[in-house]
Amino acid sequence: MRGRIMRSLMGIAAIALAAGAAPLLAEGPTDADLMNDASTTGDVLTYGMGPQAQRFSPLNRINSQTVARLVPAFASSLGGEKQRGQESQPLVYDGTIYVTGSYSRLYAFDSRTGEEKWEYSARLPDDIMPCCDVVNRGAAIHGDKIIFATLDARLVALNRHTGKVIWNKQIADYKAGYSATAAPLIVKGMVITGNSGGEFGIVGAVDARDVETGELIWHRPVIEGNMGTLRGKDNGITGKTNATWTGDLYKTGGGATWLGGTYDPETNLVYFGTGNPAPWNSHLRPGDNLYTASTLAIDPETGMIKWHYQTTPHDGWDFDGVNEFIPFDATINGKAMKLGAKADRNGYFFVLDRTNGKFVSANKFVMQTTWANGYDKNGKPIVIPAGRPGAPSATEKGATVFSSPSFLGGKNWMPMAYSKDTGLFYIPSNDWGMDIWNEPIAYKKGAAYLGAGFTIKPIAEDHIGALRAMDPKTGKIVWEYKNKAPLWGGVLSTAGNLVFTGTPEGYLKAFDAKTGKELWKFQTGSGVVGSPVTWEQDGEQYVAVMSGWGGAVPLWGGEVAKSFKDINQGGALWVFKLAK
Amino acid sequence: MDRRAFLCSAAVAAMAATTSVFATPLGKVRELGVLRVAVYKDNRPWSWRKDGQLVGIDVDIAQALAKGLGVRADIAELVADESADDDLRNGVWKGGLLGFQPADIMLHVPFDRTFAARNDRVAIIAPYYRESFQFASAKGGLDVNAPPTQYRGRKLAVEIDSIPDFYLIGTFGGILAKDVVHFPSGADAASAVADGRADAVLASRAQIEAVVHDKGVTNVMRRTSPLPGFTSTGWDIGMAVKENSRNLGDAIEAVLTDMGKSGELQAIFVRHGVTYSPALAAG
Repeated sequence: MRGRIMRSLMGIAAIALAAGAAPLLAEGPTDADLMNDASTTGDVLTYGMGPQAQRFSPLNRINSQTVARLVPAFASSLGGEKQRGQESQPLVYDGTIYVTGSYSRLYAFDSRTGEEKWEYSARLPDDIMPCCDVVNRGAAIHGDKIIFATLDARLVALNRHTGKVIWNKQIADYKAGYSATAAPLIVKGMVITGNSGGEFGIVGAVDARDVETGELIWHRPVIEGNMGTLRGKDNGITGKTNATWTGDLYKTGGGATWLGGTYDPETNLVYFGTGNPAPWNSHLRPGDNLYTASTLAIDPETGMIKWHYQTTPHDGWDFDGVNEFIPFDATINGKAMKLGAKADRNGYFFVLDRTNGKFVSANKFVMQTTWANGYDKNGKPIVIPAGRPGAPSATEKGATVFSSPSFLGGKNWMPMAYSKDTGLFYIPSNDWGMDIWNEPIAYKKGAAYLGAGFTIKPIAEDHIGALRAMDPKTGKIVWEYKNKAPLWGGVLSTAGNLVFTGTPEGYLKAFDAKTGKELWKFQTGSGVVGSPVTWEQDGEQYVAVMSGWGGAVPLWGGEVAKSFKDINQGGALWVFKLAK
Repeated sequence: MDRRAFLCSAAVAAMAATTSVFATPLGKVRELGVLRVAVYKDNRPWSWRKDGQLVGIDVDIAQALAKGLGVRADIAELVADESADDDLRNGVWKGGLLGFQPADIMLHVPFDRTFAARNDRVAIIAPYYRESFQFASAKGGLDVNAPPTQYRGRKLAVEIDSIPDFYLIGTFGGILAKDVVHFPSGADAASAVADGRADAVLASRAQIEAVVHDKGVTNVMRRTSPLPGFTSTGWDIGMAVKENSRNLGDAIEAVLTDMGKSGELQAIFVRHGVTYSPALAAG
């Protein structure tokens, strides 16, 4: 009771503050609120629990001592027959949990009872062809709006109270192969998004739109030679035309920015990762193919690229460089540094100086990398030439190359977490390789084609998935938890000395952040491939995660499929708190 | 015996009756009076939208097949996935993620033993055309039969990420790589030559012939000598039905044979400006 009175008093104080400091249009989270999300424990306003996406909460009621008492508070079904991969991260604000679902749906649930307040289901055209399941990874909130991207490459802003559409903008043409699945990032009144797309014909880009209207402010293609825009005017081409691309291939060079970005208020830089280059056959596009498979630092005011670092130059393995770049501070060799870290598809964990992109270190976080043997001090991979798949030939099946990690990566889309307490990164990784060969008997759209055949296979007997604690200062793995099926969900760390992540086997699990000891698990009924969050409400700490198996893994068969053949689909939000 | 049990058994009896009418896939098509045919979306000259109308060789063949079975054609446009193997899953035996209902039959499926062997959920039948790649140029623009290395500095149009693309970019040590201009389809690449926006095109013969026909141009020359190091000798095109729909496949093959005998099949190709070339497997 006391808690409730306190809360309503605080509510009045907050309204008074808002009225004094900001116009009433706020009526919800402001830019400043979003920037402070990592330290405000009563809500979850951003994808990543803060613009830096460290996924760390200072809450500690649920901790390594008490977590054994964690029990479900409620579960809310997404309903319908559209039960595919649920890769979303919930947002929590004003007594509401907002979560996106497969097939571009968005739900508002009461955060105390789990009752649905409203749902929005995007009407999708039937001629879209998403490459990797019909997922969505989360929404963004600002003022009275909740905003998310849809599979037909649109951005939709809904009234957060009613679910009614405020604006709905096309961000790219789905008929040209574009899509969108990432959670938007909101910085300084702008919605900043990347794009997703098929394997050829597209150009990755980062766009900023006015959060109030959805109107485009700037557009920055990530492939050199393509023109950017700022407020409707040309704003310089990206890089230098034909410096690392031949002919007109840069016009369709790939590099989709399909996982969205992070933002660091200290350096005022937006960080986006870019995907693999096109076409897939690397022998046809000599050169580094900038800025594919890279991390870019972009000025949010102008959309200009401030620095880049390419994790896989001249990619030939489908090593997207899209993974999240997480800003953090640490002292390296006695020097306090502003750093950022990224665990890449290619199996290496990178630490860069986030002010200028300078290479600090790269260390392996998977069992095996057949394509390279570490990085030199300049940040270039020491490539193993025999590890590159060969050029295709129309006459015969080419030699089989074994490549590890597989094209699904040492780490795929699922976000890692950084604990300010332990100073460790917690990486949801997978140990798997692939046999890859040229396939002369291949067809595309009814026409002869030179394809690549491949089979993904495990490389260890006891696991594919591995949650690993990485010390960014030493590059050493401090502990690891092995999982039979591939890990495909995000990670949460807390000041309660806990690390949470889900498994395809259906469990949400909690581990001791220092030792990796498994302390708690709960079976949610379907595979967990979403990202957990935590917040405080009415004096209690809550944890929430989506359950619903899917994503790219079940689309590929082979030996790996044995590890998840008995896992069923689903679609539910699970919310937990400590038993009294 | 209560009322509920009685209703139950009545329902089962009704279902059994329905099943017997639909005992076979062919029976089901005849009973419903409709043949659902999957064709590729945006696949000129086979199946594409001209002024909003779905037209093309495959569209006409689909209509003729349905007519031959005495039913109506329900033609569904399938968006191509990353490989034709995926298309068989989306179009024939399982359906698409976004709700595409599997078709009774899909057209424009490669008729190839290795391809068929790894796609055992479908039966690939009725080879109806032999496709191959063709090099052509604007008349007087360049010597269409010259060694390709002489084409440096000219605009060579191809469909992006196709065998012609791989060939022109990768052969001869890559010296033509910066001369290759990319288009979303072979028909677009052929159009670029017909319109004078490119000097030469390497695309499928049907794409080039149909564009020349549709645009009524006379300025396009076709290469008669083989391209050095170009290994694709062509491929057969057939149709696919679900593995358990062989009696439907048999009926379709019978209709197709009649169409060939009567000249109806050849006439469809002529209408679209494409020289009919029988599948090797049909010979």
